[in-house]
Amino acid sequence: MHVERPEIENFLYREARLLDTRKFEEWFDLFTDDAIYWVPAGRDDIDPTRHVSIIHDDRAAMATRIKRLRSGFAYAQDPQSHVHRLISNVELGATDNDKQTIEVTCMMLLVELARHRQTFHSARCEFTLDHSTGSWRVRRKKVNLLRNGEVLENTPYLI
Amino acid sequence: MHPPIEKLITKDAIHRSVYADSEIFDLEMERIFNKVWVYLGHSEEIREEGDYKTTYVGRHPIIVSRLADGSVTALINRCRHRGPIVCQHELGNSKYFRCPYHSWTYNNAGDLIGVPMPQGYGRSFDKSALGLAKVPRVAEYQGFIFGCMSEEGPTLKEYLGGITKFLDAYVATSPTGKIELFEGMQKCAYNGNWKYQLENGVDPYHVGSLHASAVTPEAMQIYRQGTGCVIAMDGHGVTDHTDWGPMPVDASLSGGFNLVIFPNLVVLRSQIRTIRPIAVNRTEIYTNVVKLQNVPDEVNIRRLRDQEFQFGAAGTFFTDDIEIFERTQEGLQSGAVEWLVFSRGLDREVMKNGYMTGNMSDETQHRGMYQNWKRLMTNYTPSPMSTAAE
Repeated sequence: MHVERPEIENFLYREARLLDTRKFEEWFDLFTDDAIYWVPAGRDDIDPTRHVSIIHDDRAAMATRIKRLRSGFAYAQDPQSHVHRLISNVELGATDNDKQTIEVTCMMLLVELARHRQTFHSARCEFTLDHSTGSWRVRRKKVNLLRNGEVLENTPYLI
Repeated sequence: MHPPIEKLITKDAIHRSVYADSEIFDLEMERIFNKVWVYLGHSEEIREEGDYKTTYVGRHPIIVSRLADGSVTALINRCRHRGPIVCQHELGNSKYFRCPYHSWTYNNAGDLIGVPMPQGYGRSFDKSALGLAKVPRVAEYQGFIFGCMSEEGPTLKEYLGGITKFLDAYVATSPTGKIELFEGMQKCAYNGNWKYQLENGVDPYHVGSLHASAVTPEAMQIYRQGTGCVIAMDGHGVTDHTDWGPMPVDASLSGGFNLVIFPNLVVLRSQIRTIRPIAVNRTEIYTNVVKLQNVPDEVNIRRLRDQEFQFGAAGTFFTDDIEIFERTQEGLQSGAVEWLVFSRGLDREVMKNGYMTGNMSDETQHRGMYQNWKRLMTNYTPSPMSTAAE
């Protein structure tokens, strides 16, 4: 499988932009049916069946999360957070020709502003991207927050 | 400036300074957290000999250790020489704690066992008097470990009172009668008073409102039916859909009970929340997720996933709770309105099984906790802080 670096970078930028601009439904459509959206707690290399995570959503949970954010009653997002994500240090990893997937890592600096308070998150993100349907989709998004073992402020926005 | 303490809690109202005055907070640390049984952790966190966890009792940093004889000790995490904490990890296993500053070394029972160049201190130097200070009393109920900074006062069982029956019912959810914990914790902080979490842990009234975006119609149905009750139980708070247990194995919102064990423990659904007061307007919450023994893996995984989805730092319920705690702290900065209303159900609550009991949406359990708060804050006699070393 031949993968051009810019197409991966553009995909990651788009994924980040859709979250920044609150196009949650378009963002959701980037994910495969069997996708996992995962933010570990404590450290990066936990077993999510034995250890608590901050977020560990399958697609149904992601849909519920988005529905809540759209409900008009998600008070922790009233007023809503404004978020900027900077994506950098993109590295292409192993490809799987049979499954048409590629492993990608990148660094993310996330700046959130809500009620006059700025919160910074630095994270190393891992993606499994899937091209089996002819366009890139996310099979796994794992966000390894630098502060995943720390006490966190309220985090009602999508990371 | 606040009114006299005995005037801050009336039968149906609470004065804003209870949440917003830092002097009151300082008194709480002394008169409540230094006096009563405070939750330290669960036995499962320190299962093996030498296991330890660090935590806090009010402002005291604490090490809780499992000793060679299987007993549990709780030590003040503070070197007797110059004061640094001697253990900086959340969890671990060690028979010794060494302060790196001058290498004073203690065993996990707290005894000072090593001081470099001790001859420099002269003849009167007595190592046996310089062990890590101890939390005077440590006791366990159904695996829940508590410490008390006061030598005097009720035993743990007396202090827990009727709520022991609910703790029995909670662990009985596990077919073996013993619960375990998933690894790791959810850790969150908010800019607000610690008591908001106590109230909120047993507050069915808010669920349909604040959690309108998260609560399922089935769960809402349970609350609307008006079955179940709230109980003011020996200074602690209970909301109960079960008529005293057992809990549903899946820990679903539709049923079960919530326990708030004054002053720092919340047990509800699959979670054990520990409240750490930092300042009058700053609180941290540490949550463990409870696993059952001898149930299919899917049951435990469902408990874990539901807990994460709803009650972590990004949880669909918890984020709105945290939000309202911060909004409350902001609102209570104003002295233009002095009182908060706590009268719901006052005219319809009844004594049942020996405890004042209200309808599911009432505030009987809150009034009970604040009468306890008032008693502790006003019936206070200072006692010298005792340590094993003195």
